[in-house]
Amino acid sequence: MPRILPQVLRNLFRKPFTVKYPYVKVEPPEGYRGRLAINKERCIRCWLCIHTCPARAISVDKETKRPSIWLGRCTFCGECAEVCPTKAITMTKEFEYTTLYEK
Amino acid sequence: MMEVLSFFFNSLVFPGLLFASLIGLLYAGIDRKVTGHMQHRIGPPIWQEYLDVGKLMGKEDITPSAAQSLVFNVAPLIALGAVTTVMLLLPVNSAQPALTAVADLIVIIYLLNIPAICLMLGGYSSGGPFGSVGAARYVVQLFSYEFVFILAIIAVIARVGSLDLTAVVGYQAQRGWLILDLRLIPALIAMIISAQGKLMRVPFDIPEAETEIVHGALTEYSGPKLAIWRIVYNIETLVVAGFIAALFLGGPVAYTIGGFQIPGVADFLIKTLIIVLITTILRNIMARLRIDQALKFYWTFAAFLAVLSLMLVLVVP
Amino acid sequence: MTFVVPVGPQHPMLKEPEFFRFEVKGEEIVGVDIRLGYAHRGIEEALSRRSYKHNVYLCERICGICNVVHSTTYCQTVEQLAGVEPPERAKYIRAILMELERIHSHLLWLGVAAHQIGFNTLFMLAWRDREYVMDLRELISGGRVHSAMNTIGGVRRDVRSEHVPTMLRGLDKLEQSARYYTDLWGSDRTILARCTNVGVLSKDDAIKFCAVGPLARASDVKVDIRKDDPYGAYGALSFNVITEQEGDVWAKGMVRLREILESIKIVRQALKELPSGPVRTPVELKIPPNETVERTEAPRGELIYYIRSNGTDTPERVRVRTPTYGNFASMKSMFAGGTVAEIPIVMWSIDPCFGCNDRITLVDSHTGKARVVSFDELRRWKK
Ligand code: SF4
Ligand code: SF4
Repeated sequence: MPRILPQVLRNLFRKPFTVKYPYVKVEPPEGYRGRLAINKERCIRCWLCIHTCPARAISVDKETKRPSIWLGRCTFCGECAEVCPTKAITMTKEFEYTTLYEK
Repeated sequence: MMEVLSFFFNSLVFPGLLFASLIGLLYAGIDRKVTGHMQHRIGPPIWQEYLDVGKLMGKEDITPSAAQSLVFNVAPLIALGAVTTVMLLLPVNSAQPALTAVADLIVIIYLLNIPAICLMLGGYSSGGPFGSVGAARYVVQLFSYEFVFILAIIAVIARVGSLDLTAVVGYQAQRGWLILDLRLIPALIAMIISAQGKLMRVPFDIPEAETEIVHGALTEYSGPKLAIWRIVYNIETLVVAGFIAALFLGGPVAYTIGGFQIPGVADFLIKTLIIVLITTILRNIMARLRIDQALKFYWTFAAFLAVLSLMLVLVVP
Repeated sequence: MTFVVPVGPQHPMLKEPEFFRFEVKGEEIVGVDIRLGYAHRGIEEALSRRSYKHNVYLCERICGICNVVHSTTYCQTVEQLAGVEPPERAKYIRAILMELERIHSHLLWLGVAAHQIGFNTLFMLAWRDREYVMDLRELISGGRVHSAMNTIGGVRRDVRSEHVPTMLRGLDKLEQSARYYTDLWGSDRTILARCTNVGVLSKDDAIKFCAVGPLARASDVKVDIRKDDPYGAYGALSFNVITEQEGDVWAKGMVRLREILESIKIVRQALKELPSGPVRTPVELKIPPNETVERTEAPRGELIYYIRSNGTDTPERVRVRTPTYGNFASMKSMFAGGTVAEIPIVMWSIDPCFGCNDRITLVDSHTGKARVVSFDELRRWKK
């Protein structure tokens, strides 16, 4: 008899392992490297984040004269959040940043 | 006039094309759903197969330029005709099939082979290497399972003493189902094994092994033609299940429970569903065999079971 | 009549673009022609244009599955060039991450191998259990796939003590399922039928073609960089080098499955003996001209990094020899005399990672001729 049969029949009566994702949210653990948030007030414009970003994803926003992150290039490494002297950049736990448009 | 009308009704609506394809697609959906749960995931909704076929129907009809287009285009239609005809010859609502012409088991066996032959033709004529390999594999597979399939049927014929499917069902109505006859159990097992090969399910999905030869003979098919192949395949599943049900499980029986007349077709659906679910379980607990291993398996183990059953029927009173 | 079965660049069997041209007589393979280079991304060139620190993240992206081992090897090489030693605790954390990666890579291998032989239930179940190890990686590094943990001179995050119980619980679950799969792989009749005596690589061939990693170990060649040339914390951790005698696909699977159990043991030990202290030493990244080579044991085998520095903060040349590249040579001998049905599982048995293998390289046609395809030729040929 095939060895996997008991497992297969048991699975038939168990709740599926799959999480119904868009309806059921999964909370990422503490310290998850998600979307970056910039606190514009705290930024002292030292540009350390721009120099440290390995993906060259941070540029200076023309209007506000503050760094702005191009999420399309960002690799979510977290270097910028680590290096920022005033903790103006932080990593949130948000991971739903799929979009149809480049932002 | 009445006869012509009822013929058209039979072949197009019940138990012909419409009924068979609706139920066939539903069974395919159930099969996929149950498979999903067996693999500890959710699986597609039960009506997924309707959506898939509907989507394919609405697509552009493409014939590859390398294909021999007549054979390539006609193959799915002939296959569809053949399986629908078998549906008419099967006892679906009562022991009497819809088409009461004199057609016995031999005809059904032949008709059941037509989709296979069409598949090979389609594969060879598609002009792609995967189609040819798939068709070549299916030829080998046909020669492996068909022998066992026929031997198992012969065991039943020897037991009942008639070549007529109606007679087989009638016999079971009087003397009990053939599955209860211990001598025929090996034949039933052999039959299910060969059905697994006929329906190209794991471990015998060799002719359409996805990771090896993409989709075998059907690789070049797309759009409506592929949709027809899907319908053919699903009706074939239903037909083979119905055939096994008629041979071993007593065919459709009408019951009366508490004054309600339950038609034989309900019984037919339950029995065929059980058989389809057995094949579903089988396909989820094994890996695919190689073609030479499948050939060996059929000609040794499965053939042995069928012959054993035949011997028992002939020797043991 | 022989005809050609093209496998790739797009084929359901391949997860990445690469081209294999099989000459087939009926079902039997009579010739094979391997052409690589479809996934060329120019990473080595890019590596020599960025600073050492930025390169960590680029190296991590050479391969998604074995990202930690790539960045670790890179960091180790640069550390050696710069003459710094990462703290002990960092070494242990790197070892934990690399072993988690090995577990996840091998489970992934098992799933895809099962799919290649048509065993979809095992595929789904193996990938279900892989989810546990992904969760553990997410817990300590903050990312499911790319850990972004390594930096030159140590690691960027510490393993917090409150995570240890969760980790141990996850490891227990993993051990349970790994044992189940080992048992299944060794006993299921259809798996045995498909995998034994298929794609055999004899011990002599394995040595001759310089096979690395699980592929070599399945042919009874005892090579494991973790033992032969201990790096990081591996000198202090105790584990066995798994080998099998047969050299067929089954043995390759068995080696991997048993390595999962071994890796679980290593992670447990590393968590228990985790030394205290800092996780990172500061480094001055202006490295005088020098060159060095570092090797590690990736899930797929020996991974080699060579870096030449030139006194600036960018390396002059980085060369990466990925394990898959080392294993391609053995492939022809494994295919010889096989059947079409064996192609997927034999190919997958080396656990190929074409993405990290992005080189324009030799074409070894069945006539025995070997030549190098130029990029132009390749482009024309693709059309
Ligand atoms: S997370 Fe990394 S890649 Fe993204 S903006 Fe910050 S430094 Fe750049
Ligand atoms: S490192 Fe922080 S403070 Fe400096 S520019 Fe970036 S966000 Fe502003």
